[in-house]
Amino acid sequence: MLADITFGQFFPGNSVIHRLDPRIKLILTFAYILLIFLPDNWVGLAAAVVFLGISVMLSRIPLKPVLKGLKPVIPLLIFTSLINMFYVDGTPLFSFWIVTVTREGVFTALFISVRILSLIAAGSLLTYTTSPTTLTDALERVLSPLKLLHISVHEIAMMMTIALRFIPTLIEETDKIMAAQKARGADLESGNVLQRVRALIPILVPLFISSFRRAYELATAMECRCYHGGDGRTRMKQLHLCGRDYVALGCMAAFVALLIVSNIYVPAMI
Amino acid sequence: MALIETRNCTVRYSSGTPFEKEALSDVSVCIEEGEFVGVIGHTGSGKSSFVQLLNGLLKPDSGTVLLDGRDIWEQPKDIRRVRFEVGMVFQYPEYQLFEETVYKDIAFGPQNMGLSDEEIRERVHTAAKWVGLKPELLAKSPFELSGGEKRRAAIAGVMAMRPRVLILDEPTAGLDPRGRDMILNRIRAYQQEFHTTVLLVSHSMEDIARVADRVLVLNRGSAAMLEPTETLFSHVTQLESMGLSVPAVTRILLKLRERGVAVPDHVYTVEDAARVLLPLLKGGDIHVG
Repeated sequence: MLADITFGQFFPGNSVIHRLDPRIKLILTFAYILLIFLPDNWVGLAAAVVFLGISVMLSRIPLKPVLKGLKPVIPLLIFTSLINMFYVDGTPLFSFWIVTVTREGVFTALFISVRILSLIAAGSLLTYTTSPTTLTDALERVLSPLKLLHISVHEIAMMMTIALRFIPTLIEETDKIMAAQKARGADLESGNVLQRVRALIPILVPLFISSFRRAYELATAMECRCYHGGDGRTRMKQLHLCGRDYVALGCMAAFVALLIVSNIYVPAMI
Repeated sequence: MALIETRNCTVRYSSGTPFEKEALSDVSVCIEEGEFVGVIGHTGSGKSSFVQLLNGLLKPDSGTVLLDGRDIWEQPKDIRRVRFEVGMVFQYPEYQLFEETVYKDIAFGPQNMGLSDEEIRERVHTAAKWVGLKPELLAKSPFELSGGEKRRAAIAGVMAMRPRVLILDEPTAGLDPRGRDMILNRIRAYQQEFHTTVLLVSHSMEDIARVADRVLVLNRGSAAMLEPTETLFSHVTQLESMGLSVPAVTRILLKLRERGVAVPDHVYTVEDAARVLLPLLKGGDIHVG
């Protein structure tokens, strides 16, 4: 049951997208997520979807996990779409009882849905093609200017790396503790809500205790290897920008230009 | 009739995916009432999967597990009853302690069985006595105990359910020799007192040799041997081909035999070896080389 989490999973591969510099990937994904809210016409929106589609194809990630990652947002989509359809003013399409559905409302709902889906898919594509350690590495480098504001970027990145690294460990630990308590007759499957919450205590208490134990052990191990934060620390894997990274930046620039031009010349739909 | 039996059991992990792995293939084993069986095998040989099969924590993908001649999965809703009859102590069981006091933690299993308070009290005290926990420790928090005491408290938590089959997965892992001896002796004494069937999983041949009547050897997911302890260690080459070794003292005696010293070939504890060798040494008729 715990093995079903796909969000944030990494699919190792060797595609162009996998090999892009993680900093570029991070910045481009972030830019895309902001830009997806720019187009107000179908040309721009279609361009955004096609741009994402090509990226997914280039990454050679099977379509199934990408679509599976989108599944959890469907209820949210339906909810926002309904709200938008009923509350946006404009040319009425039809009405019944006290609600009126407008042309603009339908378009807004459609645009919002496509935007949310693209946003999630773009985020998933980033985590599917970038290993967690590389990703936090990139994050540290991208955020390093914040050091001037006395924000300890290195420590934040280290915390993220450790947290990500321990997710599978904790899942494994939970499975073990659950098995041990089930062997003592713990009943996790039946009873009302209160009983089920109470049944979690024998699992959560040992889990918390072992997490703290692990944290202490890890801290000791890091200190033994003379870890003292980010100052003066060098990297084993240096990041270098190369040809494909500039190509990716160029593609993004072209995409932005297309969005701006389409917003000026194509009539807005919302 | 065997008390617990597996018939052609196969267990696969991640079936239907490219990561599919067969943990157990076609394992058929019979264990009689009151036996002390050692389960041994190299890392990844399927020891843990095998024992989890017996108390219904794992469901076989094919084959059946019989307890008293009845399929334990006949009524999946009643699987808890099977778990009360087949008690299981996991590896590093001290990490499952969670209650405020040792007493409450040991009582967790019996409470789940729906026993009366008096019955629970009696069982907790008896179990604590069997693993050698002093009564004053029962009122303490389990997290104040020492490592060895925690381990024993966790074992008592399963013993208090009075299972007919007691399975222990590496109960001595990470303990010092004294703690190890203490736990093994207590388990052996408990088994003899209550005629419980005990399965002890270990990768230490020395531990198994000391306590087990019969030994089940697992190799790459199949049951390679199930033999009385006395005869097992004569198959040195076969055991070594499975990545297992015979106890050091047995190896020495076998080497002595190779060189023509008249010693029996089924000695596997230091005490027995001393009993065999001392008279020979005193008699002065050992001439090696």
